[in-house]
Amino acid sequence: MNNVLSIRQTPVDVVQTLLTAAGEFKRSVKKSGPVKGLPRRTVGLLFFENSTRTRVGFEQACHYLGYRTVNFSGSGSSVKKGETLKDTILTLRYERLEAVVIRHSASGSCNLAARYFNGPVINAGDGWHEHPTQALGDGLTVIERKGKIDGLKIAIVGDITHSRVARSNAWLFSKMGAEVRFVGPRTLVPGQTSQFPATVYHDLRAGLDGVDVVMALRLQLERMEEGLVSIGEYRRLYQINRSSLRSAAPDAIVMHPGPMNRGVEIDDLTADGPNSVITEQVTNCIFGRMASLAYAFGDVRAAGTGGLT
Amino acid sequence: MKTLLKNGRILDPSLGLDIAGSVLIEDAQIVEVGAEVDVQGVQETYDCSGLWICPGLVDMHTHLREPGEEHRETIRTGTQAAAAGGFTNICCMPNTTPALDNPALVDFILDRASAPDAGGVFVSPVGALTVSNAGVHISDLAALKKAGVVAASDEGSPVQDSRVMMRAMETCLQVDLPILAHCEDRSLSSEGCMNDGSRSALLGLAGIPRCAEEIMVMRNCLLALNTGCRIHILRVSTWGAVEMVRQAKYLGAPVTCEVCPHHFSLTEDDVGEFDPNFKTTPPLRTQVDVDIILQALNDGTIDCIASDHSPYAPYEVEVPFQEAPFGLAGLESVVGATLTYVTHKGLLNPLETVRKLSTAPAKVLGIEAGSLSPGSSPLAQVTVIDPNVEWTFDAARTFSRGKNTPFHGVPFRGKAVLTFCGGEIYRDQLYPSARYQVELD
Repeated sequence: MNNVLSIRQTPVDVVQTLLTAAGEFKRSVKKSGPVKGLPRRTVGLLFFENSTRTRVGFEQACHYLGYRTVNFSGSGSSVKKGETLKDTILTLRYERLEAVVIRHSASGSCNLAARYFNGPVINAGDGWHEHPTQALGDGLTVIERKGKIDGLKIAIVGDITHSRVARSNAWLFSKMGAEVRFVGPRTLVPGQTSQFPATVYHDLRAGLDGVDVVMALRLQLERMEEGLVSIGEYRRLYQINRSSLRSAAPDAIVMHPGPMNRGVEIDDLTADGPNSVITEQVTNCIFGRMASLAYAFGDVRAAGTGGLT
Repeated sequence: MKTLLKNGRILDPSLGLDIAGSVLIEDAQIVEVGAEVDVQGVQETYDCSGLWICPGLVDMHTHLREPGEEHRETIRTGTQAAAAGGFTNICCMPNTTPALDNPALVDFILDRASAPDAGGVFVSPVGALTVSNAGVHISDLAALKKAGVVAASDEGSPVQDSRVMMRAMETCLQVDLPILAHCEDRSLSSEGCMNDGSRSALLGLAGIPRCAEEIMVMRNCLLALNTGCRIHILRVSTWGAVEMVRQAKYLGAPVTCEVCPHHFSLTEDDVGEFDPNFKTTPPLRTQVDVDIILQALNDGTIDCIASDHSPYAPYEVEVPFQEAPFGLAGLESVVGATLTYVTHKGLLNPLETVRKLSTAPAKVLGIEAGSLSPGSSPLAQVTVIDPNVEWTFDAARTFSRGKNTPFHGVPFRGKAVLTFCGGEIYRDQLYPSARYQVELD
C-alpha cells in the first residue's frame, strides 16, 4: 500500500516508475481497452471542491483499471452537517473502501486523511499544496513531445503562490532533471522560494528565454478582487502569446492545466496553435491517475525499470 | 506547622540571593531564608540538596478558557496544570466567552480559583481592554481594577484602531493598570496560518508576514511613549520586534516584553508536514529570530518568559493545518524548555532564569509574588526545581485538558518538582519520597 500525497515527497525512482507506468497504461488502453487481470478494488472519490476534469479523469482511470468507484461530494456529504474530515475518513474506512482519492481546499488535508485511513490515499489536489496526478500527466505529455525531461528548460508562468499544479510540476520536472523557472508578478510568487527547485523571474521574456516548455497557469479571478493583480497589467506583462513565445525555443511546447481564461493568461491563437499540447495533457492525466492508483495498490513495480506487475 | 526546605540552592533575584541554604515556612508564611535557619520544631522537612529553591513562578499569560470554553480547559484543570508546571501565580487572559469585561466575571474567576479542588495557585485576572474584546468601546477599567484585575489586555483581538488604543492607554494610565498588548496587524495576517517564509511557500499555506507583528509593536511602543502608559508586549517572535522594544526602552518608553518557550526553541521548519501542534500566533519564525531572541533574553531586552498556555480540545486540533486554531498548551513545559534551551546552553545563569520566570513578571504586574522575602506575599510561594533531571515531556500525562503541544516526546533537562503556595500544592513523582520527612508528634 502506498500513498500518493505529493511529488516532493516521492523518491525520484518512484516518480520515474510512475511516469513509465503511465506511458505503458496509455499504450495498453489504446491497444486493447481496459486493463485486464488486475484485482478488483473499490475506490472512494471524495471531492470537497468542484472539479470536472480531475473527477472524470479518476473515474476513467478506475474504469480502465477495472476498479469500482464510490462518489462523495463535499456539498452532499455529512461534512455539510458539521462532520470533521477526520470523522468522514474514519467512516469511509469502516465502509470498507480500499482507497480514497481526495480533493480538498485545505493544504495538507490528504496528509491528515492518510493518518486515519487504513488504505492508500491519493491527493487529487489539496489547497495550494500539490496536485501530483496532474503533474504525472503533464510529465508524460512532455516526454511524448520532447522524448525526455532531463536537460529541458521549463517555465511555469503565472500565479505560483496559489497553484498546487506549479508546486507538483516543479518537483516532478526538477526530479527528472529539468531546469525549472517560476515566472510571475511579485504579488503572485512566494517571497521566499529557497526550498523550491526553481529560479524565479519577474520578467516574462527573461523567464522564457530559450525554454523548451512553457506552462501557463490559470489566473483566478478572486485574486484580482483581492488586489493582487490587475487583469490588464497581467495580460500585458505575462500573457503567453505569439509575441512572448518569441523568447522561447522555436519548438517550445505550450501547456496549461486548465481550465483556461482565454485572452487572459493565454491567447486564443496560442491555446489552439500547433505548439499547444493542452488537450493532450487532459488525456494523459487519466494515465497518470491510473499509474498512481495501481502504484497505490502495489500493482506497479515500486522501482527500477517500472512497468506493470 | 513548620515546614523546612533545606540544603537547596536558594535563587531569589529580588533579594539578590544565590546561596546554599534553607527556607522555613511557618503557618503558610515564609519566615526565614538563609544559609542558617532555625530548625527547631519543624514538622515537615524537604531535602532539597541538588535542587533550586526559588520564588514561586509567575505566568503572566495563561488562557484558562472558563467561562465559556470549558471543553478546552477549566479553572480547575488549568490551575492544576500551573501547579504542576511550578507556577504559583498565573494571569488568566480575558478572551473568554463572554469576555472578561465586567466585575461579576472577575468575582466568578476568583471564586472558582480558590475552590478546594482547584490547583491551589493564585489567579490574577486580566480585564478586557475593550467591551467584548471588540476593539471599539473601552471597558470600565476602574471597576475591573476594583474587582481585582491586575492588567488590561486585548489578547486574542488586538485593537486595530490606533485612536482607540491611545484612549485605552490614557485610561489605563489613569487607573494605574499595565496593558498586556497582543501585537498583530490583522489586515496583514488575516489569511495566514504560519510564518510567511520558505516553509509556507513549500507547503502551499498562506503566510503571516513578520511585519504584521512588528508594525503593531512599533505602534504600541510609540503610543506608550506618547501617553506614558505601561505596556507589556506579549510574546515577541521576530528579531525586528525585539529591536523595536530595545529602541523603545532606549527612548524611555515604559515598555516590557515577554517570549514564549516555543519561540526560542522552534522554527517554522518544525511545522513539518502540516502538524497543527505547531500552529501558534505569532507563528514560529526562523533560526535567525530564535538566535536574536536568545541574545535578547541574555542582554535583558526581553524581560519575561511566559507560557501563552492556549489549550484546545483534541478534536479541534485534528483538522487540516489551516483550519486548526492558533495556540499551544504550555504551562507544564515552560521550566523544562527554558532550562533545556536557554539555561543549560549558558545563555542565562540560574538567577537570571528565575528572574524571567518569577520576579520580573511579578514586577511588571505589580503583584505580591516573585520573592522569598518574608511577608512579600500573602502566602508562601515557593517553587523547587531539579535543574538536572532528564525527562521526556508526555502530553498524555499533563493536567491540562489541552494536549496540543509541540513538545510531546521532547527530552528536557530540568523540571519543577515541588510547588508551594501556602502549603504543598504539587509534588512530582520524580521528587524522591525519601527526601520528604514528616515528623509526627
